[in-house]
Amino acid sequence: MMSVSGRGSALLRSSHRVCTQCARSATPRIIAARPSPAFQLAARRCYAAEAAAAAPSQPPPSTPPPVTTTTTTTTARPATAGDPSAYRIKSGVILTRPPLLTRDQTPFESAFYLYQKRLNERLTAPFRRPFYYKQDTALDLDFGIKLRERHGVPAKDIGRYNPRGRLGWNDELLVGSTTSDPAYVVDRLLADAEVRVSEDGEPIAPEERVPVEAPLQRRTAADETGDVRRLDRAMDRTLYLVVRREVEGGEAVWEFPAGQVPTEETLHKTARRVLEETAGVNMNTWFVGRVPVAHHMIKPVVAEDGASVVQRGEKIFFIKGRILAGQADLAGNKHGFTDFQWLTQEELEAVLPEKYFRSVRGMMDPR
Amino acid sequence: MSLSLSSFRGLASRFPARPTSVTAMATTAASPITQCLRALSTTASALAPLVPSKKPKKDTTKKAGRGAEVRDPKMINMLSHFAVLSPKRIPPPLRMGRNRHLRHWTIHRAWLLFRRREREARERTLMRQYQSMNNACEELRLTAGPGTRDEGYLYRVALEKKGIYGLYGVPIEYARAQTDTPAKVAWDHDWKR
Repeated sequence: MMSVSGRGSALLRSSHRVCTQCARSATPRIIAARPSPAFQLAARRCYAAEAAAAAPSQPPPSTPPPVTTTTTTTTARPATAGDPSAYRIKSGVILTRPPLLTRDQTPFESAFYLYQKRLNERLTAPFRRPFYYKQDTALDLDFGIKLRERHGVPAKDIGRYNPRGRLGWNDELLVGSTTSDPAYVVDRLLADAEVRVSEDGEPIAPEERVPVEAPLQRRTAADETGDVRRLDRAMDRTLYLVVRREVEGGEAVWEFPAGQVPTEETLHKTARRVLEETAGVNMNTWFVGRVPVAHHMIKPVVAEDGASVVQRGEKIFFIKGRILAGQADLAGNKHGFTDFQWLTQEELEAVLPEKYFRSVRGMMDPR
Repeated sequence: MSLSLSSFRGLASRFPARPTSVTAMATTAASPITQCLRALSTTASALAPLVPSKKPKKDTTKKAGRGAEVRDPKMINMLSHFAVLSPKRIPPPLRMGRNRHLRHWTIHRAWLLFRRREREARERTLMRQYQSMNNACEELRLTAGPGTRDEGYLYRVALEKKGIYGLYGVPIEYARAQTDTPAKVAWDHDWKR
């Protein structure tokens, strides 16, 4: 019997409850089969909540428990867990800023890339200068100067290595060499991009050369000052928006913006509304989907008799959003949040309550 | 099957395409009969032109051959470039000593290992994220509410696909690729709706 129910549970799980039309077609059959509709639903569905609700209130004395109820998930819950009013349903937003930059190269990667470039140099045909530069033009003279400075190596970023020379075999780096360093490569490329010969073929003096504009640094001022409210920090990481909520008679709590779902709303609508009410409208955001990516549960506080609920629990479902431009602004928010931060995963771990972080950790990317 | 094209080269030279003897006869003895024959012939184009006999004389006097023609220097450049690119002059495949090749093999295996670790880390992340979604959806499916809604209502709505796909399903800003260095204005903090 257990094996049968175990096999059938997958099918039953994707049963008529998923689709309303299927539910409509399936309901009359059930009612015809069994007299009590309240028990019917509990019997037909294999949901923990329904079964737990049905079991203590209306234990069926005559009929044995149907097969489907044995397939219910046996999660340990308080007796009142089946009561929908024991939980407050909330919808939260995990607003993330995707990484803007690629990740740093590992030393092994950069060394391997240089190794491959040199192997490629060994395998390709020699560079023919007159094919690419017309003789005695300004470009040709310019290239000649740079080629001389590179000791005759046509490639710009492989260091001093000539595959056709006497030391053509010697294409490996020595330990401690910085030739494969990405910073060194950028430096060499920039130096090569400088114009060394004027239009009429005269070499330009060093003080008159126009330096090429270097690419910007990967670390910004916000990184240096540790400004956690700016969005141009930690640009090769994902940033998450967290807000601070003041708790009466306790320490303030950092959390993701979340709000209760009213009857006429659904998760994604509430998430959108909460985000606008919390952080203002001046953010270009996009919600990745309507399906929650993580959830966090706070169990209700039950009185000692085990029946009445002293404090309702919470089920917070998180929708994932992306921010594409703009900045959060908590001025005049309706949820009483006092501060916000854009944090990486490690910083979140330090700031969020431990259980809360564990609940949402699964949706995060290591970057 | 082992015959290569080179074995046919001699053949081609032994049987030249143009019947030179015929043309020589035609030019030397340009009799009216041959003229008539030419006029009646349907294969006139297959015959050589009437004045080929002067060519060998020219070649013997100047001795310039093809060099006599004025060639575009660009063409010369290009031809010599192709000569460099010809398979004869491309360097041979890598030749390495034993220890060098062992080092190469080690580097190659290390790179494969690196790729494999990255790929597996990515797969683990995806699995973790999927499990997180799965758990959240399962909890949502077992949740009644909000308010008077029945069990699983939120789950059904969350799985609806209305308005998700289509022209404006994904914003164009989301197509921005990651770069090695940031833009001049790394982030637009002053964006207004």
